Amino acid sequence: MNISRQHIYMLSLSVLLLTFVLIFSFAVLIPNGKEYRLKRADLKKEYRKLKQLSDFSYETSTILQKLQAQHRHIITAFDTPFVVSRFEKQHRSFFSSLKLSKLEKKENEDAFNVYEVNTTSEINSPKSFYKFLDAVNKSDWIVAINFPITFKRDSEMINSSFTMKVYGNNKDVKSLSESKQSHSELDSESKFK
Amino acid sequence: MKYSYINPQKKTLFTPELKILLTFFSITIFMLVSTYSFLLFKDYNFTQTKIDIEQKYSELNITLSQMDEQIEHIDAQYLLSQKVYTQNSVLKESIANLFDLVPERITLSEAKLLKNGLVLYGITPNKDIYNFMLQAPLRSIFHRTYSSFYPLENGWFSFVSTNYIDEESNDEY
Repeated sequence: MNISRQHIYMLSLSVLLLTFVLIFSFAVLIPNGKEYRLKRADLKKEYRKLKQLSDFSYETSTILQKLQAQHRHIITAFDTPFVVSRFEKQHRSFFSSLKLSKLEKKENEDAFNVYEVNTTSEINSPKSFYKFLDAVNKSDWIVAINFPITFKRDSEMINSSFTMKVYGNNKDVKSLSESKQSHSELDSESKFK
Repeated sequence: MKYSYINPQKKTLFTPELKILLTFFSITIFMLVSTYSFLLFKDYNFTQTKIDIEQKYSELNITLSQMDEQIEHIDAQYLLSQKVYTQNSVLKESIANLFDLVPERITLSEAKLLKNGLVLYGITPNKDIYNFMLQAPLRSIFHRTYSSFYPLENGWFSFVSTNYIDEESNDEY
């Protein structure tokens, strides 16, 4: 059998190239392909997790918006710094005279700031006091009427004195303190009715 | 002088067989390199996407925890406000009940509402009216009731009624 030299070269080249193709395929391409498949599956999992979290975040955001809309008055009330003169102006119609003392900061309660105000007033009938208690629940602040409450007859009038607890958010410490300072001088007595 | 009947042809390195061989291997190697490049690109792309996803994940987690805090805070605000509103309403009812409790013949001069008690100052025409018409209902409400009388010049009595509720049943008042 006579094989030409050219054919021998061609055969050698073919074997060399084939070896390169096989080595490249098995040593590089196949492991990389496997890794690609694993990474793709892993990424899909990550996407699914992200979508779940994103959906949950959307649901939570909806709940939060709903809560904010439902309790807008309460949220605003906690955010509003207590202003003595404004309270007097809003509620003096229930009394013949209404006087609020300085705001005193009390110990924090349920993570909220609590301020105490001593109040002295004159009413001509207990009904005015009932109306005042109803109005306090609808006021711009969260105000709790606190014990002790004293009613003392003075001729045709009833002198009443009680303390009020004003609740505010912790972040309002500064603004409430400022309000306390600016309105400490505003204690005034006004007679109407 | 000619030794052959055919014309001599130029010998070339790229014979048709070699051309076929080279074409075949060129295409094969091109496909292999393209696949490898695709895999490298995808690997880079996956790494970048994973970093993005992780970033979004942590951002969402932060947003979620902030929203949870806000919800918790609003719930706490709502509970506290309801507690305060209920307390004010109960107080209103308590004061109304107190004034309804006092009969017309007895005149109150002072009433002190304490956290766990009630102190009343007033005048009564006689002790019996006080005992039957005021002390009896007070006794049914409070656990401990103390009364003291001071005679007045017109024959009436000035009285001080001190009433307490024991700690565990404060809510009734």
